[in-house]
Amino acid sequence: MNIRIALASLLAATTLATSVSAQTLTVITAGDTNMVDYINDYLGPKFEEGHPGVTVRAVGTGPGDGGSQAIYEKIHAQKDKSVWDVDVAVVHQRMAGKMVEEKLLANYRDGVATSKLVTRKTAENALGVNVSGYVMPMFHSQIAIAYNPDVIANPPQSYDELAKWVKENPGKFGYNGITGGMAGVGFVFGWMYAFSGMADEIRNGPWADGAADKWAPALASLRDFNQSVMMTPGNAGTLDAMNRGEIAMGPVWMDMFYTWVADGRLNPNLKLMILSPGMPGQPMYYTVPAKSSQPDLAKEFIAFATSPAVQADGIVRRFNWFPGIDPQNVKSELTDAEWQRLFADVTPETLAERGWSMPQAKYFAAILEAYEKNVAK
Amino acid sequence: MRSRHPAFSRLAETLGLALVMGLAAFVVFGPLANLAIWAFAEQWFYPNQWPTRWGFEFWARVFRPRAGAWESLWNSVSIAIATVGLSMVLSIPAGYALARLTLPARSLIMLVFLLPQAFPSLPIFVNIAAIFYGLGLNGSLFGVVLVHSLPGLVYAVWIATASFAAVDRSMEEAARNLGAGPLRTFRDITLPQAFPGLMAASIFVFLDSIDEFTGTYFVGAPDITTLPILMFNASMGGNYQIASITALILLIPSVGFMLVIERFLKADVLSRIGR
Amino acid sequence: MWPGVLLIAPALTAIALLYALPLLRSLITAFVGEDGHPTLGNLAKALEFYGADIVYSILVALGSLALIAFVSIAIAGYLTLGQSRWAVPLLRWIYRWPLFIPFIVAGQTARSFLARNGVLNTLLTDVGLVDAATATSLLDWRGLVLTFAWKQIPFVTLLLAGAMASLDRSTIEAARNLGAGRLRCLIEIVLPQVRPQLLVALVLSLVTIMSVLSVPVMLISGNPTMMTAMMAHRVTFYGDYAVANALGLFSYLLTAVAAWAYLRMSLREKSN
Repeated sequence: MNIRIALASLLAATTLATSVSAQTLTVITAGDTNMVDYINDYLGPKFEEGHPGVTVRAVGTGPGDGGSQAIYEKIHAQKDKSVWDVDVAVVHQRMAGKMVEEKLLANYRDGVATSKLVTRKTAENALGVNVSGYVMPMFHSQIAIAYNPDVIANPPQSYDELAKWVKENPGKFGYNGITGGMAGVGFVFGWMYAFSGMADEIRNGPWADGAADKWAPALASLRDFNQSVMMTPGNAGTLDAMNRGEIAMGPVWMDMFYTWVADGRLNPNLKLMILSPGMPGQPMYYTVPAKSSQPDLAKEFIAFATSPAVQADGIVRRFNWFPGIDPQNVKSELTDAEWQRLFADVTPETLAERGWSMPQAKYFAAILEAYEKNVAK
Repeated sequence: MRSRHPAFSRLAETLGLALVMGLAAFVVFGPLANLAIWAFAEQWFYPNQWPTRWGFEFWARVFRPRAGAWESLWNSVSIAIATVGLSMVLSIPAGYALARLTLPARSLIMLVFLLPQAFPSLPIFVNIAAIFYGLGLNGSLFGVVLVHSLPGLVYAVWIATASFAAVDRSMEEAARNLGAGPLRTFRDITLPQAFPGLMAASIFVFLDSIDEFTGTYFVGAPDITTLPILMFNASMGGNYQIASITALILLIPSVGFMLVIERFLKADVLSRIGR
Repeated sequence: MWPGVLLIAPALTAIALLYALPLLRSLITAFVGEDGHPTLGNLAKALEFYGADIVYSILVALGSLALIAFVSIAIAGYLTLGQSRWAVPLLRWIYRWPLFIPFIVAGQTARSFLARNGVLNTLLTDVGLVDAATATSLLDWRGLVLTFAWKQIPFVTLLLAGAMASLDRSTIEAARNLGAGRLRCLIEIVLPQVRPQLLVALVLSLVTIMSVLSVPVMLISGNPTMMTAMMAHRVTFYGDYAVANALGLFSYLLTAVAAWAYLRMSLREKSN
């Protein structure tokens, strides 16, 4: 009797796994939990309102490149099937390039009404790979240094000054290395921009074999730097360590910072700044897998998500990201105060001067590998 | 040596003992109380030592319809029930055979059922995931049930074997002498006697499945979210309140079963495990 | 013979598919290069990149086992030899709580409990044992050792106390009558008799410690960390199963050495 019940529930569980409603739009996203929250709490319900019978299912794969890698593996595993179980994939720049090169993505942008609003350079080129037509930026975000002005009245303004500052204030600066999310990765890229002597090549190419051999001094000084800083567990871990007073300074995503402050989870006195010469920022991309089962619905979803109204209300007002489409179209939907909030700590001028791009894909991988080999151990 | 007053020395001993017991209680319950504090802290930042605002705001956030807590709970429970089903279907005949029937290389087979517990499981899960990718089982409930059944099977076979070994054979013989067939004897005599042990095995398998993280992380994620996965994501995302609330929910079956398991796992079965 | 084989075949098949096959795959992949040829390159890379993590894992495991053994012997010994009418049942009730608490929950609470401004340091500051300015975070090897011990002590104690309870009380009583203290009784009479159970429990705990992924990921930031975290990192970041399996090989080796040491010891005891 018991066995029969158990068998029945086993069967029930199996059928449940295979039956997915045709009206479900599966959106898979890399990044921190705020990405899933954005789709679950804001975008999904709004889209469902305009599309009765459609359910938006958000699936999060985790922060940083690991999250994008999981999306890649999931789609790559279904390569030979006729239909894939992902309709919209939100990925980082590096993975977007790789997936375009491996023909895993659809060239969909021309069919989307809002495509004319896309003006960012990153919409055409993702870390050296031509992705024109395959991606639409969901938002742009910037890595900055958060600091507690009650503890540090005059924070160091450049990587040079920071390196000296941590020697005098050991343990007061913290970051999450390269395994726990992109804020730490971006901080390391900024370090390489400042000290490798080849910031231009790293950002714009071309790739030179053996470039990594020239990085020995920069990596050695980073290793030395790491001796005086606290390692935090992840992007959120840095914010949490700031919040709990364990560190007074650390690299964070600007949007996460403002969201946490708005949430009451972060001391509102904390401030942001960007180190010179520059710290990287990046967009996240909306992409449609090449064999999505409902490409038209996916396109409608992306068109909706990149419309000026949603970009203003969702991306800027509620989640504190910089818009993915041309700012002029978004600004008009917001009050001045709401728009200026994005620049409360960092002026547009500083942002233009010090908000740099991520490294080209090959340099990207080479720096991470060099870090693991020379700095982490 | 001058002997102290006996009443005084007994008092000192009692006080010392109370101190040690208090320390033990703090070590065990302090971390659990910490979870409870986080679950109800709405605002808590440096330099405040304790939360500055308490409330249920984050509970509402965990259980809002779209947050996925309900789906995770449903996933966790249905996976655990299916895992118990699969493990018991496989291990009841296996346990009976190991306890009662002649088998070639019996001790070798017992050893095989021990091996999954004798080596670290993480590489196994990683490679199961790689194999499942090829079979399309990744991200399916069935795939997760299979992964959970690996540790489940080990417990279930061992406890089931011990339970069948503890069954009184004279009653079975009496039933057979009265003309009952082997299946009927098994159903009416053997199974009821072994039932408490099998129940204990089921509870173990259920708990293990509810708590399982690593296998689900590699095989189920990102499509299948169970409570442990939900908790891990919240924790790594810095949502300590949400992680703590999920953790408290996860504790309910664990603590509940801990309080009842002794009823099912009798000493005569316990002493036969592994024989 | 055939009915028995028939009944056990499904379970054995399941173990073969869910355990033996992935095990075999992990062993083979560790020695196959990207070009499909056999190579030692993955092992070399694992050692070059994560050698410090392997050493760290071994030290953390040994530290945890030492703490687990010490506390478990103390608790089990007191439960067996203690005479207090209230303290023995109370301790029996307290000690087993962490047994069924999932590792991931233990990791979450340790993460906020042991942090620099966590509840533990706050309480110690309030009592005056720690100065707030010099309070340090315990989220390093100490946090791992404490969390692993917190979770595994009940398990080892349960097995140990069970073994002690089934000992012949007469030798213990005789020694007590001759004036031996309880501590001496525990060390000289009780402990030698339950050594096999203690070692089995410790070997099983070692396997558990080397399998847990959530605790090191949640507690440790940066390197060195436990090998489990780096195996997962290789797979989730790079899809690099070869180096992950090479690391896995080292974790098999470590537990195999422990199992071998245990077997040798128990064989030597039997021959004496």
